[in-house]
Amino acid sequence: MSDTPSEAPVKSILPEWVRGPQDFIGGLAMVAVALFALWASSDLQGMHGFSFGAGTAPRMFAVLLLLLGAAVALMGVLKDGPNIAAYSWRGPLFVSAAIVFFAVGIRPFGLVVSAFAAFLIAALGSHETKWIEAIIVGACLTLGCALLFPYVLGLPMPMFPRFLIQ
Amino acid sequence: MELFANLAHGFAVAFSPINLLMCLIGALVGTLVGVLPGIGTIATVAMLLPITFGLPPVGALIMLAGIYYGAQYGGSTTSILVNIPGEATSVVTALDGHQMAKQGRAGPALAIAAIGSFFAGCVATVLIAVLGAPLTKLALAFGPAEYFSLMVLGLIFAVVLAKGSVLKAIAMIVFGLLLSMVGSDIETGASRMAFNIPELADGLGFATVAMGVFGFAEIIRNLDHGAEMDRNLVQQKITGLMPTRKDLVDSTPAILRGTVLGSILGILPGGGAVIASFAAYTLEKKLAKDPSRFGRGAIEGVASPESANNAAAQTSFIPLLTLGIPPNAVMALMVGAMTIHGIVPGPQVMQKQPDLVWGMIASMWIGNLMLIIINLPLVGIWVRLLRVPYRLMFPSIVVFCAIGIYSVNNAPVDVVLAGAFGLVGYWLIKHDFEPAPLLLGMVLGPLMEENLRRALLISRGDWSVFLSRPLSAVLLAIAAGLLVLAVLPALRAKRDEVFVESEG
Repeated sequence: MSDTPSEAPVKSILPEWVRGPQDFIGGLAMVAVALFALWASSDLQGMHGFSFGAGTAPRMFAVLLLLLGAAVALMGVLKDGPNIAAYSWRGPLFVSAAIVFFAVGIRPFGLVVSAFAAFLIAALGSHETKWIEAIIVGACLTLGCALLFPYVLGLPMPMFPRFLIQ
Repeated sequence: MELFANLAHGFAVAFSPINLLMCLIGALVGTLVGVLPGIGTIATVAMLLPITFGLPPVGALIMLAGIYYGAQYGGSTTSILVNIPGEATSVVTALDGHQMAKQGRAGPALAIAAIGSFFAGCVATVLIAVLGAPLTKLALAFGPAEYFSLMVLGLIFAVVLAKGSVLKAIAMIVFGLLLSMVGSDIETGASRMAFNIPELADGLGFATVAMGVFGFAEIIRNLDHGAEMDRNLVQQKITGLMPTRKDLVDSTPAILRGTVLGSILGILPGGGAVIASFAAYTLEKKLAKDPSRFGRGAIEGVASPESANNAAAQTSFIPLLTLGIPPNAVMALMVGAMTIHGIVPGPQVMQKQPDLVWGMIASMWIGNLMLIIINLPLVGIWVRLLRVPYRLMFPSIVVFCAIGIYSVNNAPVDVVLAGAFGLVGYWLIKHDFEPAPLLLGMVLGPLMEENLRRALLISRGDWSVFLSRPLSAVLLAIAAGLLVLAVLPALRAKRDEVFVESEG
C-alpha cells in the first residue's frame, strides 16, 4: 500500500556534515518556533524599571528556546544520530480531516451528523477498515455520544442539522 | 491527632454516596480505557477530562484520580495478558507478567499485581496524610524567589529522571513555557501572541493541547505501524485467580521493597512512577538468589514493580497538593482540571479546601479497594475488550476526543487547535522529543512568570536574590548539581541501563 512510510533517502537533501539529521532538523524547528515567538511578542512592552512588562517573560522564554534549539541542532552536526524518521501521509491526513470536519460541522449540522461523518472520515486513515462494521460501530458510537454528552453529563450541544429543526 | 481527624474528615467526604459513585465510575472507566491498547495513562486522563467538567469540584477530582489509578491498573492487565504495556509504568511488568501468563499463570500474576498495588496504595495514602500538613506549612513560608527556584528544581528533576536526551527535554519544557504565554498577561491584561483570535485571548486551553499532543498524536503514530498491532493474546481461559502459598511467600518481601522504593521516588518530581517501576525491577533482580529466573515468569518481577508504580503514582500527589507543583504530566493534567474548576493549586488549597484534599486522599484508598474487589472478577471482560480491533477503536477515539474538546468551551476553534497540536505532537515524536515535559512547562509557565516577577519586584530588580536567599540558593544548587550529574557520561550510562530492560 502506498500509505506505508516510504524509505526514500531523505538524507540526500541535507549536506554531508549533518551527522544526525533528526536532531538537526528538530533543533532548527525549535529555533524557528522561537524566532516566530520573538516576532509575535515584539509589539509587547518590555521591562520598565525593574518590573516586568507583558513582553518580558515571552521574550525570555523565546530566547531560551532559541539557544536550546540551536544546541540541539549543533548536536545533530557534532554527533552521529538517527536519520529523519519516515512519515506516512494517510493517518495524519484523514485524522486531521475528520477533526476539521467535526469542528466545521458541529454548529450547522449538529452532533449526530458531524460525529458520524467524522468517524467515517477518520476510518479512511487505515486501509484495514471494513466498511460495514465501521458504519455499524460509527452509528453506535454516535448514538452513545448523543446520549452521554447532553443528557448524562449535561453539556448542551446542537444535536441535529439546523435546517431540519427550523 | 490532627492526622486522624483529617483522614476521618476525608473519609466522611469520600463516603458520601455521590462521591463513592464518582470514585467507582472513575476507577471503572479508567480501567476500561487503560485496558484498550494504544492509549496510555496520560492520553486516557486527557481524553476523559471533559466528562468531569459538569461535576462539582470534589466529585470531579475524585473521578479523575480514579481514572488515573484505574488506567494504571488497566495498563498492567494488558501488559500481563497481551504483552502490550498500556503505559510506560507497566513496561517491566510485561517482562515477567506475560511469561507467567504464557505458562498458564495469568490469574496469579494479575492477583499479585492487584494485591501489591493495593498494599502500596494503602501505604501511600497514609504517607500523603502524614507528609501533607508539614510540607504545606513549609511551603507557606516560601517567598516568590524560593517558589521559583523550587519550580526550576522540579522541572530539572523531571528531565533528569525521564528517558532520552536531557537537552531535548529541556527544550520541550521551554517550548511549553512559551506556549503558556499565549493569551492575556495576568498583570497588565495585554494580549500576548494571540493574533486577535478571540478564542486565544484566554490562552491555549490546557485540555486542548493535552488532547492533541497525547490523544491525537498517539493515534496518528499508531496508524503508522498499520492498524493491526502485534497482539499475542493469551487465548486460553484464565483459571484460578488465587496465588499459591508459595507465590505469596515469594512476593511479600518484593511488595514491601517495591512500596518503599516507589513511595520515595514518587515524591520526587519527575517521571516518578516510571522510574520507580524500573528501579524496583532492577533491585529485585539484583537481590534475587537466582537472577536468571527473571524474564521467565518470576512472580517478584510482577509484584515489586507493580507495587512501586502504584506507590509512586499516589505519592506524586504530595508535591501537587502541598506545593501546587505537578511532578509529572498526569499531575499537570490534574492542575488543569483544578484550574478549570476555579481552584488554584498550592499550599492554600489544603487549608481553604480541606474537603477537596482530604476527600481525594481518602477516595484513593477506597478506589484502590474497589479496583481489587471489582476488577479481579471482571478480568474476563477486560480480556474480551482487548479483542476490539484498532481499526474500529481509533476513529471512535478521534470522534470522542473531538466531542470532548468541543464540549469544554463550545468552541469549534478548540477542536481545530487540538488537531493542529496532534500534528505537532506527531512531528515531535518523529524527532524524538518527549511531549510530557512540554505539558509540565505549560502548566508551570504562568506560575513561574508570576513568581519571577514578584521576586524581582521585591528585590528591586536584583537577580542575585535567587542566590542570596539561602533556601532558594540550596534549591538552585541541587538543580544545577542534578543537571551536571545527568550529562556526565558515567551517570548517563547508568541511567540508560535502568531503562534498557524495556528494549529487551
